[in-house]
Amino acid sequence: MLRIRFHGRGGHGVKTASRIVGTAAFLSGFYAQDSPIYGAERRGAAVAAYTRIDTKPICERGAVAEPDLILVVDETLLADPAAGVRVGCEFASALLVNSGKEGTALATELRLPCPILTLDLTAVVLAVVGRGSAQSAVLGAAACALAGLGPLERVLEAVQRELVELGLEADEQARNLEAARRVYADLSAVPARPRLPASGQVELHRPTLAKGAASRPIILAVGNAAARHTGRWRVFRPVIDQEACTRCGVCFALCPDGAITLDERAYPVIDYENCKGCMMCYQECPVHCISERQEVQAW
Amino acid sequence: MVGEQGGTRRMLTGNAAAAWGARLARVEYIPAFPITPQTEIIESLAAWCAGGELAARFVTLDSEHSMITAAGAAAATGCRVFTATSSQGLLYGLEALWTVAGWRVPLVMVNVSRGLAAPITLEPDHNDILAARDSGCIQLHAETCQEVLDSVLLAYRVAEDPRVRLPVIVNMDGFYLSFTREPVEVPTPQQAADFLPEAQGEPEFRASRPLAQGVAVLQGALYSHFRYQMHLAQEAALAVHEEAAADFEQICGRRYGAVEAYRLEDAELVLVMAGSFATKARAAIDVLRSEGKRVGLLRLRMIRPWPAAAVAAALGHRRGVAVIDQNLSPGLGGILFQEVAATLARSARRPGVLRSFVGGLGGKDISLGEFRHVVDVLAAASDSEDLHGSELLFTEADWQQVQSLVQLAQFPETQAVPSDDGRSEVRR
Repeated sequence: MLRIRFHGRGGHGVKTASRIVGTAAFLSGFYAQDSPIYGAERRGAAVAAYTRIDTKPICERGAVAEPDLILVVDETLLADPAAGVRVGCEFASALLVNSGKEGTALATELRLPCPILTLDLTAVVLAVVGRGSAQSAVLGAAACALAGLGPLERVLEAVQRELVELGLEADEQARNLEAARRVYADLSAVPARPRLPASGQVELHRPTLAKGAASRPIILAVGNAAARHTGRWRVFRPVIDQEACTRCGVCFALCPDGAITLDERAYPVIDYENCKGCMMCYQECPVHCISERQEVQAW
Repeated sequence: MVGEQGGTRRMLTGNAAAAWGARLARVEYIPAFPITPQTEIIESLAAWCAGGELAARFVTLDSEHSMITAAGAAAATGCRVFTATSSQGLLYGLEALWTVAGWRVPLVMVNVSRGLAAPITLEPDHNDILAARDSGCIQLHAETCQEVLDSVLLAYRVAEDPRVRLPVIVNMDGFYLSFTREPVEVPTPQQAADFLPEAQGEPEFRASRPLAQGVAVLQGALYSHFRYQMHLAQEAALAVHEEAAADFEQICGRRYGAVEAYRLEDAELVLVMAGSFATKARAAIDVLRSEGKRVGLLRLRMIRPWPAAAVAAALGHRRGVAVIDQNLSPGLGGILFQEVAATLARSARRPGVLRSFVGGLGGKDISLGEFRHVVDVLAAASDSEDLHGSELLFTEADWQQVQSLVQLAQFPETQAVPSDDGRSEVRR
């Protein structure tokens, strides 16, 4: 069985990517299973999705804890233990990160027990599909290439089927297919890593009645949402040119996340720790004094 | 998917499979209310109603309580009704569920199992559906997306049979089936029509002929009569389901029983489970079999009516039986264990040992190691020892994770927290 795990944020398209691979495998005559996992659905929150492929009926369900392939759309998730990107990576024959960095540089930085590959999927999407698009097609194509699923035409058929299901317009489908084609051509299949059959030995814990509050689902700690910096989600960073700013306050009023405050002279100041890069301020500034810059590294 | 006909093998989620089941059953009325992880079912049906693929009236109601009442009222007029809910929604509509079952009207509802609050979760266990255990509704628990679709069709045959006339709930696990795509054979409209004809019988309710439904009976004898009639109708549903399943096999080639056996022929030790986690048990049984252990699985598909004879026949002569309940009745333990034990206590042959385990609560995985533990306990158990309570399948790794999160949530460093006796204290 081949097990693939995708990591991204709500809106990146990891669920659709897992479906593209599932459909490509299904069209190739394999048994396939794909599923996403998320908590309370929210754009920008960490999301994972899984695809399992086998020549016989699949007797596994739920999360993939021992992946053969891991694909990460947003490299900032690697620094977030809660996203679980590193779980079971010792089983993986490759971990592909959507990044402009060199694979070897990232491997040195991450020191993970599996081969690291990088490919700038965002650059392909920005160049071919356009801004604000999900990465499902390129991510699905990348996973198909790494898994050795093919030929290209069948992979593209799988991409198209899933994009049709999402209701994408024909021209948008065509651009996504072109992006998928490029990414598929850039990658080749990685051989599966030999693994020993799981021994399946676990130690069971026998619970006892916990004392006091530890027995109840109650949070006594003060709120820690402020410690979670949503600025990591940005693809583009808005930058205000104070020389041109008229202090009209439109950006301050419209920022949906309250990430723009006014300083003592009433100039807007962006809190980059929490600005998610929605670029509403950039769109709405009446004097166009806000520019955009693509993030190189957010963490 | 919109615009396509049935009759192909395709990748479908459990939710999409449920919607296809309703579509192929040519349902006529769909009262709906959204709740995760069920909402996709009604979204699919709404799209088909809007697109003309399904000639049904789709109505959103203000709550599950109204939704189930509307479903029952519509079913009383003789039209084919489908609805779906999950978890908190099912419990919110519970009063109405008892009521419409008491009306003895046929309708089919899909429940997508999700653990009940509190604490809140989105992942599955079976306490929601088992809260409806005594409602009078028939219950079919699916293991795969294919079974979800097929069970919806089977459910209408059972619900609408004049010997039964009760609501049927088809249950599937949230996430593990609801959001999981796997290959599903979608019957053709012709196959579906051959198996499930148009709803039969003269509608009891008509605008031109007023009558009363769900009347008050202020006499114990009358009440006893009607309630016991429900019980007898449930019992009749066992045979009706068998007949329907035989027809279904002839038309669609897939056979469903009240229970399902996996590698049971020569099994000495048997695991008993319900729902999609039985798939995990199959994989574990294959591994344990390869090590020479004679282990098998009995999957409970029909929970109501309770298939006592099939359970007794499958389990009576085994060396050991372990029921793994994906539910918990606090203060008692696993719920289905009680039913299996009661069945075996009345049976002529009883297994040497019988053990109760609770696993998969709130969607927690049941790993190979945990299945191995269950089998090891059974293998080592002797019939002379006292019957233990329900053991929770919960590993040391689970415990480490819980400890660190509880620590984070409750005892942050140097923070004043109220102790149980009301005084504040500072913990490190």
